[in-house]
Amino acid sequence: MTPITLPGVGEIVSFTTLHSPPEGFRSPLHIAVVELDEGARFVCHGAQTEGLRIGSRVAIEAIDSVYYFSHLGTLDRARLFWRRAGRSGDRVNAIARSLAKRMWKGKQHAEH
Amino acid sequence: MADVWISGAGMTKIGRRVERLQDLMAEAAHAALAVAGIERPDAIVVATMNPEEFLGDGNFASNVATHMGFAEVPAVRVETATSSGAAAFYAGFAQVAAGLHRTVLVVGGEKMTHLSTPRVSELIGRSIDPYERSYGATMPALAGLITRALMGRHGAGEREIAQVSVKNHANATRNPYAHFPTAVSLEDVMTSRMVADPLRLLHCCPISDGAAAVLLSATRTRVRVAGIGQGTEALAVRQRPSLTSFRATQSAARAAFAMAGFPPARVDFAEIHDAFAPFELISLEDIGLVPPGKAGRATLDGDTALDGRLPINPSGGLKARGHPLAATGLAQIVECVWQLTGKADGRQLDGRVSLAHSIGGLATNNWVTLLEAT
Repeated sequence: MTPITLPGVGEIVSFTTLHSPPEGFRSPLHIAVVELDEGARFVCHGAQTEGLRIGSRVAIEAIDSVYYFSHLGTLDRARLFWRRAGRSGDRVNAIARSLAKRMWKGKQHAEH
Repeated sequence: MADVWISGAGMTKIGRRVERLQDLMAEAAHAALAVAGIERPDAIVVATMNPEEFLGDGNFASNVATHMGFAEVPAVRVETATSSGAAAFYAGFAQVAAGLHRTVLVVGGEKMTHLSTPRVSELIGRSIDPYERSYGATMPALAGLITRALMGRHGAGEREIAQVSVKNHANATRNPYAHFPTAVSLEDVMTSRMVADPLRLLHCCPISDGAAAVLLSATRTRVRVAGIGQGTEALAVRQRPSLTSFRATQSAARAAFAMAGFPPARVDFAEIHDAFAPFELISLEDIGLVPPGKAGRATLDGDTALDGRLPINPSGGLKARGHPLAATGLAQIVECVWQLTGKADGRQLDGRVSLAHSIGGLATNNWVTLLEAT
């Protein structure tokens, strides 16, 4: 088996807030299932769920082997986008792909 | 495979009980035996989810058989978490169908209310995937995730989900065996305390004590076991392709209807595992009793009420009859038998085919049982 590294960015599948969490956890406890862009799903903790929705873009990272999600603002998303799209030619392609994906998604949502 | 019949059914009142579990199970068992007119069964199948930790008692098949005065009757215990009662029914069914025994007593029960709620929650939560548990995931937490997904993707509204609780509490007011025979309003449900956002207190079943029993027989009676099916799923919720349907219910239903040789449309009424109100909506669609995406609307329109087209949970369901874990799968079957034989005073339905649906763990080991009046 070869370990692979994933960029740690994905979408909220669902989330909840426990107001009486089990022993050893602080209340309120925010728990989310996050699906990374590569398909792997993680259960994560988060600092807050304000403004969060199913499908929201989040970053996840491990702190002391525990995964945490954080909501990506527009600025964070732009930063990630530029970091991931390498040379300028790739950037143009990536922008086009991203726009096409967004339009396709909008269309799907409209149909449902 | 030989036909299997139900010759007796009985249960205790569900609620906060001071008796020992052995006494509760004996009460239910002797009620079932009395109806059947049998003093001693050929074999016993016992269902309890976790008497080791709830009570500190083990070897529970022998324990309860001895307590009932049946020390010399062969007894086994069956466990599939919260669906243990339905699983025990299946084991008893298989013994009679295979010709191993002519009469099998199936008895299930649980006693938990003497422990604190956090302790009970922790013990029940041990049926959850250990990794998800390490993040603080309890049954209500996972149900909260599922509820939000249902509301997001499926469009099930707050009122539709709350109406499940309102309906089941209304049914329980007519059931003297129910833990909470009290009516609640939509507003009561929708303003009750938040447990696992968006899941509220009155969406959740209570912690209950109680026991239920049925006697299975190779001799013809008024109620035949028409079909029974088991469905299973991975322990981890995060690894499932969908959060808004339970594959374990879908395969259990497929197997049960295949054995029965008739379609879901033949079902006249059903007992559904509503440990959390949204699970009733999910299950109605998974079983095929209601078209996909229509369960919420059907519930709001009164289709699933006692006087509706397809009454669901006439007993009050897990929500209001109560959920003494391993008793529940059998309590559902007891209600179906009572309904099919005209013994459901005050809530009597007119029907020939009934369905019982039980969920084990977070839908990892589910059962669908079909009973037919002959």
